[in-house]
Amino acid sequence: MLIIQNLHARVGDKPLLKGINLNINQGEVHAIMGPNGSGKSTLASILAGRDDYEVTDGKVIYMGQDLLELEPEERAWAGVFLSFQYPVEIPGVKNIYLLKAAVNAIRERRGLSELKASDFLKFVREKLKVMQMDEAFLHRNVNEGFSGGEKKRNEILQMQLLEPTLALLDETDSGLDVDALRVVGEGINCMRSPERSVLLVTHYKRLLDIVKPDFVHVLTNGEIKLSGDHTLAEKLELEGYEGIEAA
Amino acid sequence: MNGFSAWLEGIEGVSAHEALMVGLPTKRVESWKYVPTRSLTRTSWQPATPKTTERFALTGGRFSNIPDVGGLEVADEQLTPKEQKRLEEISEEHGFGLTQAALDHSRLILTIQETASVRINLDHLANEASSAGFATLILRLEAGAELTFVEQFEATVVEKSNLSSLRCIITLSRDASVTHIRFQAANATAHIFSNTNVTCGENASYRLQTIEFGAKLARNDINIALAGRKASASVNGLAITKGSQYHDTHLTIDHVTGDTRSEMSLRNMVDGKGEATTNGRVLIRKDSQRSATEQSIANLLLSESARVNPKPELEIYADDVTASHGCTVGSLNKTELFYLKTRGLSEADARAFLQYAFAEKIVGEIQHPDIRDLVETQLLGELQYGELIGELKESVDV
Repeated sequence: MLIIQNLHARVGDKPLLKGINLNINQGEVHAIMGPNGSGKSTLASILAGRDDYEVTDGKVIYMGQDLLELEPEERAWAGVFLSFQYPVEIPGVKNIYLLKAAVNAIRERRGLSELKASDFLKFVREKLKVMQMDEAFLHRNVNEGFSGGEKKRNEILQMQLLEPTLALLDETDSGLDVDALRVVGEGINCMRSPERSVLLVTHYKRLLDIVKPDFVHVLTNGEIKLSGDHTLAEKLELEGYEGIEAA
Repeated sequence: MNGFSAWLEGIEGVSAHEALMVGLPTKRVESWKYVPTRSLTRTSWQPATPKTTERFALTGGRFSNIPDVGGLEVADEQLTPKEQKRLEEISEEHGFGLTQAALDHSRLILTIQETASVRINLDHLANEASSAGFATLILRLEAGAELTFVEQFEATVVEKSNLSSLRCIITLSRDASVTHIRFQAANATAHIFSNTNVTCGENASYRLQTIEFGAKLARNDINIALAGRKASASVNGLAITKGSQYHDTHLTIDHVTGDTRSEMSLRNMVDGKGEATTNGRVLIRKDSQRSATEQSIANLLLSESARVNPKPELEIYADDVTASHGCTVGSLNKTELFYLKTRGLSEADARAFLQYAFAEKIVGEIQHPDIRDLVETQLLGELQYGELIGELKESVDV
């Protein structure tokens, strides 16, 4: 589904990614772990189409298309979703406007009919329940005044509504207490399917205890230094990144 | 050059003579530095003819269908010395002020009686091509009176430049309150001049919400004096300036006395070759201790050739004061755009969302639902690609 080959990227003169190679097949969950500043978020942002970075070499093929050629909205239409590490607040726009606009924009591009107001509400209520969110969230402005946990739940709620083929989750576990972590983790788990792939970016093993990845990769200094199965996360927890790098 | 010369020459008296001698303000007059006076000087202005209407309206510089409601009284034309002084202050500011005074067609004085609660809707009708109307409205609120004053502007297409000017003097006695909503969506060739001069007595409050979408040139001068203890004023303003429109707001809030509060939040969204000038000034005098003010001016530039001239001014001479201020100029936030696009919104829809969000901060604050709905509908029409939000509002806000 996703093939990343020799991906190099930088901001200004500063190289951030130094030759990433990664294959993600349909239905797989991959976790990318690594210390601060290793390039994890950069990778997720580049895949979603953020143009703050300059890709200097390599390519990314997503379902047979050159992903880097697509605009962020085209990537969304093609099934790519990014859960933001810092979800953006948009005062003045109700959450429900964004959700409905997003769902219908993506449905339209997938050749589906627009959801009627009543069907949309039914659909969104179902998902709110999964995320243990109150309906009042719909009528609050997008992420404005939301706590860290509420913002992350809102991100996963959006993922559930948009039903992506490739979900990029950038530190979705940061800022969550134990209960919220479980809700968010279960929210991700219930989206796992043979057609859908997930790339989880995280610092810690705790989310991976709930969302068990098929593969774990260690990214340090812009390169994937080590890959393995979920037991690699446990090893990291014990030995730290320094231990891994030394090995 | 002065487009009012012929008209002024036909009027006898000192004020017309003075206006003629001084002429229209040039770029050298600081408060008129950015005003494009071309169409004022090049049009040969004639007195406008009043139209017939069934509502309370300002047409051709005259008031028609003066409302007849309980608690509202039409006073005779005698001004109080203070009102007289404030009108003189407006006219003495520059040559256009003198012209306004000399060409004033009519004056209406309304009193809102003690503890009465009244709503007045004033429609500004469009004047015909090359014609201008000047009028003065005096509103006096007795103790504890409440007024909702809604001004709206007719958008009828007029081929050539037309002009309407209203000087409004509002006096609030103790405990009185005014909610003033001004929705200016006048025709594209209109020149709209508005001078609002407010004095708040003890514990009186004045709240202005001013929305400017229309006109070729709109100049909004607002002067508020917080003269009594515990008086307060709040001004929220939004201007959407497009094409070759020019919008100009000059607002001064004067904390004459202590224990007074003020808030101003002025926003401009400028596209095309539009230009918006905002001068927001707060003055806290030496003895006005324990006063508080919040000032914010935000400008959103949507095109390369859009222009804004923001000037926040905070003059504080007292030492026990709470004051905050902020002034921003920028284009649409890149991260916000990216966020919306990753959710599948097209570039155009994402831009419309953020423009709507910027405007909604002011429009959403309008407390009267009938006016708020009207402004929001018009707002969506002003935004390129506003249809999506319109559909969403319709389908979701039930």
